[in-house]
Amino acid sequence: MNNILETKNLFHDFSGLQVLSNVNLEVADGERHAIIGPNGAGKTTLFNAITGTYTPSSGNIIFRGRDITSARPYEITRAGMGRSFQITSTFHRLTVFQNIRMGILSKKGIRYNLFRRVDKMLDITRETDEVLERINLTEYRDTPAELLSYGKHRALEISMAMATDPELVMLDEPTAGISKDETEYTVSLIRKLTENKTMVIIEHDMDVVFSLADRITVLHHGEILASGSPDEIKNNQEVKDAYLGEMEEE
Amino acid sequence: MDSMTAVYIAQGLHGLAYGMLLFLVASGLTLIFGMMGILNIAHASFFMLSGYFCYQILQWTGNFWVGLIIAPLLTAIVGVVVERFLLRRMRAFGHVGELLVTVGIMLIILESVQYFWGTESLPLPPPHILEGMVSIAGIAYPIYRLFVIGMALFVLVILFLILYKTRIGMIVRAAVTDPDMVNALGINIPVIFSLVFAVGTWMAGLAGVAIAPIITVFPGLADQIGMDAFVVVITGGFGSLGGAFLVSIVYGLLNSYGIQFISQLAPVLMFIVMALVLIVKPMGLFGERE
Amino acid sequence: MTTKRLSWIFWIALLLFLLLYPHIFGAYYTNVIVIFGIFSLFALSVNLLLGFTGLLSFGHAMFFGVGAYGVALALTHIEGCPLLVALLIGIGSSFIFALIISPILVRASGTAFAMLTLAFCMLMYTLSLKLRNITQGEDGIGGFPIPDLNILGIVSFEMTDPVNFYYFATAVLLISMWGLWFITKTPFGMVIISIRDNAMRVDYMGYKVVNSKALVLLVSASFAGVAGSVYALFQNLVSSDGVFSIMTSFAPLIMTVIGGVGSFFGPIVGSGVMMLLEEVVTRYTERFSLVSGIVLVLVVMFVPMGLTGVVKIAREKWVLRRAANE
Repeated sequence: MNNILETKNLFHDFSGLQVLSNVNLEVADGERHAIIGPNGAGKTTLFNAITGTYTPSSGNIIFRGRDITSARPYEITRAGMGRSFQITSTFHRLTVFQNIRMGILSKKGIRYNLFRRVDKMLDITRETDEVLERINLTEYRDTPAELLSYGKHRALEISMAMATDPELVMLDEPTAGISKDETEYTVSLIRKLTENKTMVIIEHDMDVVFSLADRITVLHHGEILASGSPDEIKNNQEVKDAYLGEMEEE
Repeated sequence: MDSMTAVYIAQGLHGLAYGMLLFLVASGLTLIFGMMGILNIAHASFFMLSGYFCYQILQWTGNFWVGLIIAPLLTAIVGVVVERFLLRRMRAFGHVGELLVTVGIMLIILESVQYFWGTESLPLPPPHILEGMVSIAGIAYPIYRLFVIGMALFVLVILFLILYKTRIGMIVRAAVTDPDMVNALGINIPVIFSLVFAVGTWMAGLAGVAIAPIITVFPGLADQIGMDAFVVVITGGFGSLGGAFLVSIVYGLLNSYGIQFISQLAPVLMFIVMALVLIVKPMGLFGERE
Repeated sequence: MTTKRLSWIFWIALLLFLLLYPHIFGAYYTNVIVIFGIFSLFALSVNLLLGFTGLLSFGHAMFFGVGAYGVALALTHIEGCPLLVALLIGIGSSFIFALIISPILVRASGTAFAMLTLAFCMLMYTLSLKLRNITQGEDGIGGFPIPDLNILGIVSFEMTDPVNFYYFATAVLLISMWGLWFITKTPFGMVIISIRDNAMRVDYMGYKVVNSKALVLLVSASFAGVAGSVYALFQNLVSSDGVFSIMTSFAPLIMTVIGGVGSFFGPIVGSGVMMLLEEVVTRYTERFSLVSGIVLVLVVMFVPMGLTGVVKIAREKWVLRRAANE
């Protein structure tokens, strides 16, 4: 099995508080992998360690064969990863179009260009509009991000993770706070956008997890409790003991 | 004792006196920064304002001690008014707004003192008992400066006791490191803010009165000590009292000895040290908050 | 008539106005408008950091001053230094100065950044006072020769003539303002306003934020240097209190805030308003800074979007009202 992402013996502590213990995560190329666990299990910390927010206390993170343990977020994005946040984090005063365009510009390596008017870069504009089409936000093209409804803003957030066209997409609770009806829509959007990509998703909503995931890893107290196919996890006694009832939620 | 040692000691005492006063000013500044995340540009202006208040009180009552008590209190009141009605409104909008307001306040105070008291430097003689010299180990040293060192030490000990031995002190210390958490615990943060602001301003005011007999009262006072206090806070660490104390004393001594031996470059030296500290430790020597 | 056409007409009219200005208004007001231009550019450079990148610079006078001193020193020490060379030396000095201090500055944000810039500016102020043999200390460098503007050796204009200088200065300042405006419309311009909104997200989009901050600092410093250079040529006196003082740093800030940080033209509006205010206020009192301080506090507290912001809101309301009535 070809693993696009691996963490080896990952440990992380915050001033003495052990948050991640011996995490050995394996994400296969092209799979949809869900990370679940109770609050405080260390899921977002794991994401942060992988995407460069912080360097883990010890252990290694290998992405496509490269050691990215101490890489910074911008290096990780350039290497082919994208990340969305649990708390919506877009460029709030910019329009939806401008938000997505930042990703396109970055993907093309246009970072320090002060010599051409960006609005006159027609190929960039076209590509950005294409992305807007795909995420069904074309009618909000010129709306400032902060004026979007919560659900649409979340959709933008998720799209920003993919705007740089990454191979590996990391989504942190993408459906957080979204109403039941909009959740189905968001899930189908995620499924469409992550075709031909590898995806790792943190989720609390078990329906979302079971409808999307090829494999599930359960995190508890910073350790991997279990990892396997959805059926394996559903029938895993330890997992059931860890959150009695949480799986039957909703 | 030979005269060279005597000179060193005298210089040292000068430096100590200035360092203590500097700490009185810088401690307020660093506490306010720790709590509110802004460096109050007008802080040194309060220092200067207090000197002017004292001068005026001296004109009316002829009593230095009355000035020493009342002027800092008046200044603290002005500070609280500014905090309560101007700064508090800006808090929701982020640091830039607050900083700009403090700039405005600084300008207003600077110009107002010149409007009311003119631009000349005003003499403020120390009270009779504190005039003159006293003999320490063979050198004559001005009594007044010893008084300044003593008074500053006294205030600082009280401050230390309050901060570390009382409940309110503990709350303030917590609020300086993590105001959101303290707020979440149900403690009235705005009141604590005002309190810290008032005390910080009061200490700056006290220092303003204390320094006046030494260097007179003039509009440039704010610039002078402002620059120094600011360097102290940045080097010692935002929010760190211990750091501010250490750096103040070192700065006072360096200044004193520096002026004797390295002449003009003392302030520049300090800036260089500050820049180096910031490169190595962007939060100052002991700072915790960003 | 389309907005684009109106726009063209506006700019052409403005250009014509500027061309004929000295002949309409005479020498005194010609000098006034040069100062207006200098401070407008200076304020624009400050706003590139404040309004566009979200970085408050309390010490921008340092770039202004380095530019000014650069010109003054070049013209004092280099025999027969041509005008444009002196100008370039001034701008280059600011650029190099910014380059040197940028590694320290770019690692800071918010209050720390503001304080660092203030510290560096104070440092420059102190240095310029102490290094008497270079900068003549308090007295400053003055009376240096202002060379003629020599274009390709064919035609030459005396810069001591206020009208000639006006055309030269206006050309330089206008080109610079246009340059700044253009930069805000480039991909880099998008990067800096994204940093303003969400620096972390910019990092996660694959941009090295620190590098972008360094670049915007260099750009801003260079344009402040242009303003300072023109100032040196105009004033023929460069001193610590004139170019490195706290007020020199705060004045463009106040202008920017009054005019509005959210608009490119805000600082220009603010500069104009402040100059008008100064003309009026100084008739009644010397204490103009007092008025500045009060205005600053009032604007920041009650009209934080500045005059251009107020106009924008008023225009939007008007458009909405028209739409509602149709």
